[in-house]
Amino acid sequence: MPKNSEGKDIAEVNPKKCSGCQACVGECPVGCIDIEDGVAKITAEKCIGCGKCVMVCPSDAILFDKPIKKKVVKPAEFVESGIAAYKGVAVFIEVKDGVAADVSWELVGKGRELAHKLNTNVMGFLVGHNVKSIAAEAISYGCDSVYVLDNSAFETYVSRVYGAALTELCRQVKPEVFLIGASSLGRDLSSVIATQLQTGLTADCTGLDVDPQEKLLMMTRPTFGGNIMATIYCRNHRPQMSTVRPKVFKMPKRDPARTGEIIPFKYDNVVEPLIEILETIKMDTANLVDITHSQVLVVVGKGACDSKNFQMLEELAALLGGSVACSRPLVEAGLLPYVRQVGQTGKTVAPKLYIGIGVSGAVQHMVGMQGSEKVMAINNDKNAQMVQVADYSIIGDYVKVVPELIKGLKARIPNIQTQGAQQ
Amino acid sequence: MQIVCCVKQVPDTTQVKIDPATNTLVRAGVESICNPYDLVAVEAAVKITEKYGGSVSVITMGIPSAEVQLRECLSLGAHQAILVSDRALAGADTLATSYTLASAIQKLNEIDPVQIVMCGKQAIDGDTAQTGPGIATRLGFTQLTYVSQIIGLDIQKQTITVRREIENASQIIEAKLPVMLTVELELGAARYATLPGLIKAIKHEIKVWGAKELSCTAEKCGLKGSPTSVKTIFAPPPRKGGPVYDTTEGMDQAVNSLLDTLFQKEAAIMSEILSNDSKVKNA
Ligand SMILES: Cc1cc2nc3c(=O)[nH]c(=O)nc-3n(C[C@H](O)[C@H](O)[C@H](O)COP(=O)(O)OP(=O)(O)OC[C@H]3O[C@@H](n4cnc5c(N)ncnc54)[C@H](O)[C@@H]3O)c2cc1C
Ligand SMILES: Cc1cc2nc3c(=O)[nH]c(=O)nc-3n(C[C@H](O)[C@H](O)[C@H](O)COP(=O)(O)OP(=O)(O)OC[C@H]3O[C@@H](n4cnc5c(N)ncnc54)[C@H](O)[C@@H]3O)c2cc1C
Repeated sequence: MPKNSEGKDIAEVNPKKCSGCQACVGECPVGCIDIEDGVAKITAEKCIGCGKCVMVCPSDAILFDKPIKKKVVKPAEFVESGIAAYKGVAVFIEVKDGVAADVSWELVGKGRELAHKLNTNVMGFLVGHNVKSIAAEAISYGCDSVYVLDNSAFETYVSRVYGAALTELCRQVKPEVFLIGASSLGRDLSSVIATQLQTGLTADCTGLDVDPQEKLLMMTRPTFGGNIMATIYCRNHRPQMSTVRPKVFKMPKRDPARTGEIIPFKYDNVVEPLIEILETIKMDTANLVDITHSQVLVVVGKGACDSKNFQMLEELAALLGGSVACSRPLVEAGLLPYVRQVGQTGKTVAPKLYIGIGVSGAVQHMVGMQGSEKVMAINNDKNAQMVQVADYSIIGDYVKVVPELIKGLKARIPNIQTQGAQQ
Repeated sequence: MQIVCCVKQVPDTTQVKIDPATNTLVRAGVESICNPYDLVAVEAAVKITEKYGGSVSVITMGIPSAEVQLRECLSLGAHQAILVSDRALAGADTLATSYTLASAIQKLNEIDPVQIVMCGKQAIDGDTAQTGPGIATRLGFTQLTYVSQIIGLDIQKQTITVRREIENASQIIEAKLPVMLTVELELGAARYATLPGLIKAIKHEIKVWGAKELSCTAEKCGLKGSPTSVKTIFAPPPRKGGPVYDTTEGMDQAVNSLLDTLFQKEAAIMSEILSNDSKVKNA
């Protein structure tokens, strides 16, 4: 173990493991840690060897061999802080144009799993106007109860208005966990609520579980452009809030026979919206394809961006009942609309079959498709990253491979063959 | 009228690599840049002041070296820059970050009324998109996220009109000032710095504010003021690649043996995909 000139045992950073998150800088009681060149550095002469930095480091990057006294929070402290009063898993039911967003049901499904481990129930938080049928639907997807805030002021979503209403609901109902879909609406809304409640909010989770010892929500999310995953806890504040991207969790089975309680929530203090929506411009139909809903995606990359070959890519997608999606360079070149982009700055998709054609597999792309069940790569470079991770790869020029693939598929799909014969 | 742009120093995430031997992130030596969305915000803010008057202040909360990113913003036309830096602020989550930044904005507001706060849609490292809405909520400003175009300001009416992008639609919105905007890249690329801009940026004296100058409550800042804590950081388990079919050994053969394997090994998935039911759904 390293010592400083006074012979004191000191902590040392392994720069290869440090992620530069600064937790140790904030924790160090004597201010002896700085961030240099992206990573933490301990000034040996100032370090008092208390080991506090070791405790907070999420990357296991600080070397320190001395035993450290762990601070244990006693159950009594929880009661005092009021945390024990928070019970149940709440899910925000997002409604758009009178229809509930699938991600809400995905979260109800996951919520059931969490509630089982926490030995509690699942509540739907529903805000909107004339949403009775959606409340019933929420029960059939797995909610034990649904709190309904029905008001004409909730007809269209405005962050302030919804934020204030849901904050009030949380204050009254006190859920221990509150999950929100990371749609554009959910991402706009969640931080408004968390800030008012002064609680923690973990963004864009891809994994949710319950810590078996501490019974805390373990929220896992990608950061650094998808390069690393972080598991985050919200220890001393409630609710433990998290947003989750669509398609990360499976849609639960609907059971119309399920029963539950629908609770109208009285709420009169609707706040002023401060905005006026002058116009809503819907995207044209070509742009309306929701690639997150397709079971099969034919994903076009820069290596297959010759527009005169688009038709065969569309044919391949159609043959498999899927849609065409793309990597970012195609959007940048104006060849396909932004709604078709997969990746960090595009959509997260999880189709049953992902076929990447001329896609190299950059990290920013991969984070958007890691959840795909099976991945196929068509690439002329066998060293491409996409080929390294794909379940099946064909090495060759897509201009030749794709027609052959279409031919082979037609031969193997009986009904397509007969359709072809009829034409 | 003062416009405040919040800018964040971030590692260039495209350069971040995973050490295959240890499966950990290699952060050391990766270049720091200004969050790309924030540069777009600075450009838009400068454009607003060129048309309507007023000044642009850029603030960042970060380590002393974030001064570099502030000078970059100055070279693009920002009028003043403030570095919010203090050990007490380190390790902040978005709740603590928005608290500290809102405190700094309030201090600026006392000198010259702040009508617009601009943030990036998200930071490319932390990537939560939570800081902007947190600031808006704390300041009681109107919140407009995902702004792709600034259509105009009406100083008399004290309103701003913007276009914002949501799923499958855009909205044209008129909002009351003061307002907090988070901006999309579509808002427009930053201009190139001019020589006078660069000289101004080098000469400008950057103010440094710590927790004391901001009269921040210690319990609300940094690691202490953060309800979330990162327990572990790890690299995602790499997906393992499967069979590779090389067409240089015959196109027909490669494609057909792939399809044979696919239909055999993934029979369940393939039949689900090809069942008429799912095809109707996808059409
Ligand atoms: C902040 C940030 C966010 C980003 N977000 C995203 C995002 O959301 N989504 C995204 O996709 N990207 C994103 N990117 C860009 C990303 O880094 C890559 O540049 C991009 O994904 C590369 O796209 P590509 O694979 O299509 O092109 P390339 O990397 O150019 O790969 C082309 C591939 O095609 C192959 N090829 C060439 N010719 C043929 C042929 N005739 N037949 C078969 N194969 C061929 C090549 O071998 C190569 O593997 C982001 C970048 C940054 C910095
Ligand atoms: C691995 C890891 C995971 C994390 N996960 C979470 C989490 O889930 N929840 C959470 O609350 N915190 C989390 N944090 C902490 C979070 O990264 C910091 O709070 C950070 O200061 C702001 O969040 P962001 O990077 O997500 O920025 P975003 O909220 O995405 O940034 C949006 C905009 O806010 C402005 N902004 C953000 N930070 C600053 C700044 N320091 N100075 C000036 N302007 C700024 C910029 O305009 C930026 O474009 C995490 C940190 C790490 C290391």
